[in-house]
Amino acid sequence: MPHPMPTFGSFSLLLALVLAVYSLAMGGASLWQMATGRSGRIAPERLSETARRAGIMTFAAVSCAAFALVWAAFTNDYSVAYILHHTNRDLHPAYKFSALWSGQEGSLLLWSWLLAAYGFVLRLRHKVDVRLTAHASTILSGVQVFFLLLLVFAAPPFSIQPGEIPPDGFGLNPLLQYPEMVIHPPMLYLGYVGFTVPFAFALGALIMRYPGEKWIHITRRWTMVTWLFLTVGIFLGAHWAYSVLGWGGYWGWDPVENASLMPWLTGTAFLHSVMMQEKRGMMKSWNVWLIFSTFMLTVLGTLLTRSGLVSSVHAFAQSSIGNWFYGFLVLVFCVCLFVFVRQRDHLKTENKLESIVSRESSFLFNNLILLVACFTVLWGTLFPVLSEYVQGSKATVGAPFYNRVALPIGLFLLFLTGVGPLLAWRSTTLRTIRRNFILPSIATVANAIGLMIAHVRPWEDQSQLYSLMAFSLGAGVIAAILSEFLRGANVVSTQTGKNLFTASLQLIQRNTRRYGGYIVHFGVVVIIVGIAGGAFNQSMEKEVGFGDRFSVGPYELRCQSYTEDSNPVYDTKYALLDVYKNGKFVTQLSPESRFYAASQTNSTVVANYSTLQHDLYVIYMGNNPETNRPIIKAFLNPLVIWIWIGVFIIIVGTFVALAPAIKPALATSRVSHTEAVAVGSGD
Amino acid sequence: MGLVAAAVLTLASLAYIFWPAENPFSQRAKSQLDYLRERKEAVYENLRDLNFEYKAGKYPEEDYVTQRSLLENEAAEIMGEMERLERA
Repeated sequence: MPHPMPTFGSFSLLLALVLAVYSLAMGGASLWQMATGRSGRIAPERLSETARRAGIMTFAAVSCAAFALVWAAFTNDYSVAYILHHTNRDLHPAYKFSALWSGQEGSLLLWSWLLAAYGFVLRLRHKVDVRLTAHASTILSGVQVFFLLLLVFAAPPFSIQPGEIPPDGFGLNPLLQYPEMVIHPPMLYLGYVGFTVPFAFALGALIMRYPGEKWIHITRRWTMVTWLFLTVGIFLGAHWAYSVLGWGGYWGWDPVENASLMPWLTGTAFLHSVMMQEKRGMMKSWNVWLIFSTFMLTVLGTLLTRSGLVSSVHAFAQSSIGNWFYGFLVLVFCVCLFVFVRQRDHLKTENKLESIVSRESSFLFNNLILLVACFTVLWGTLFPVLSEYVQGSKATVGAPFYNRVALPIGLFLLFLTGVGPLLAWRSTTLRTIRRNFILPSIATVANAIGLMIAHVRPWEDQSQLYSLMAFSLGAGVIAAILSEFLRGANVVSTQTGKNLFTASLQLIQRNTRRYGGYIVHFGVVVIIVGIAGGAFNQSMEKEVGFGDRFSVGPYELRCQSYTEDSNPVYDTKYALLDVYKNGKFVTQLSPESRFYAASQTNSTVVANYSTLQHDLYVIYMGNNPETNRPIIKAFLNPLVIWIWIGVFIIIVGTFVALAPAIKPALATSRVSHTEAVAVGSGD
Repeated sequence: MGLVAAAVLTLASLAYIFWPAENPFSQRAKSQLDYLRERKEAVYENLRDLNFEYKAGKYPEEDYVTQRSLLENEAAEIMGEMERLERA
């Protein structure tokens, strides 16, 4: 047999499909038998167990297929068309590994493998609630069947290259030859795929009319981990765009960037609004549709990235798998709608909104704003496609459209981030508002005055107005978060006699969810501060010769030399620039322009000197054909590093929120003599 | 080689799926009482939350008393319903 590994890989995918179909069919049959009380020759519990095990083996089979593809990449097996088109012999091993997700077939295989891996963990943990997990497992199998059908029939990753096999591959897209590209797509996909789990639990709970909100408790960690993966994936993508694409920014409202943002927005809304369902039994229908929408948006995101439906610098594939996705999206929507209509009486709310000034209403506004943002992004992303369909010409939706809507929305969300935790559940009186809002209000106003004294002129420029609002509201939110920590730590300090720092740590340990959430909010503020710095960006473009100098902001750049070089993977042109600040040498930067021979494409390597104050971001734009001297563009981007620091804070906060809380000592309440209510640190 | 590996994977899958489970795990269906226990725990959590925030100085006495009595009434209703179900 000439192609043993591709054969094994193809067979593994086929076997995975058979196993997933079995898991779906037998899982569905056993659940139907249990629901109707009917029983066949095999007891439904036994049948359900075989379906669960088939789901587990699906993971083994898809893992074998993924291994076969990676093996083919490392052994330079160019008989596999996918390997021929996405790798070459001299490619760095890390990028050979990342070939798994650098093309359409491979990335669909990654989707399928991650889904099988999530399913594997879910099925191993089935004792948490056997029946609910059986429902979720069957729904996951349904989704798995779709992706395996794609891999077996529409986008097979192990297709054999016809004719003579070339001695070397065509190479990986140079834009993808960057360290972050090894982890950015898996992170994003872990986020996309992970939302299938809460979706499956929500749909399963609705199908079986699961009493209570325990399914939310079961899926809370899944949802948070998934949300974290998506957050990190989005910002890794932003950092990649900033470091590789070389246009001076990190977010261009590109359709594929938008595709990852949309499920993040609805997923964030879901994470907040499920708290209302857990605590007050409210917004049940809303939550169910939020998670349904989030899942559908992840599928739409994959469609946008993989089908070539929209033009994007990130869409690394053009294909005809779009029809499969349209069909799947319609099917998912119909199933969700059917189940919702049949079971909607199960989703009756237990409490109503009592006051417009309450914690509940702040969650509601937060949700509405996030959904408006999501709809805006969806509209802007799909408008070019719709306009082409209706008018025959493709309209372009650029950054100004998104910024006009996203900036006010972002500021209002920032405002709610500060206000929400200060409001009481049910209703908040004026007395409580006065007590809780003084410190954040002072911080907001003082910050605004301070910035205007420091020459920020909101009346001259709209971007400065937005920046001033972002900095000031951010100061207010930080004051609100600090006051929450200090007040809580004071209580713990009084109870335990520990100092404020130790009491703060104990406070976090007692209620990881709440205080982890505050840390995440703090990270969001830091990110917004970093983004707001964009209002003060500067740039300068100049052709330079040996010894030429030019300035941008406080920096002076001096061209020490420029030259050309070559290696087996690419040819490069680069300049060596000495950077001075106040006459003192601070660093040397070396922006590059590369030409990759295998793929016949150009790429830019940005040189960046990053400080807490600003980034000096330098690009080699090319050479003047007349003088053959390099053209250098330098940007001064204030506060950008705070965006990445903010993401790090969000990661820390999410880990804190995921950690189990340590229960405090019990104190009695007058609810019942036999029951005890702990005076803990709330939730 | 490829076919041998494929055959091993298939046989291993079939053996694992259809190997008889000695004690197939099953749980009793969740009852209304279980659900009420969860609701009671949620209301208690809300009470803990309120007590802590009051101690932290977030709410004036009057607001705290009102909120606490609403939550206690909710807890009492749930416990009454639980007692009724337990008696039945």
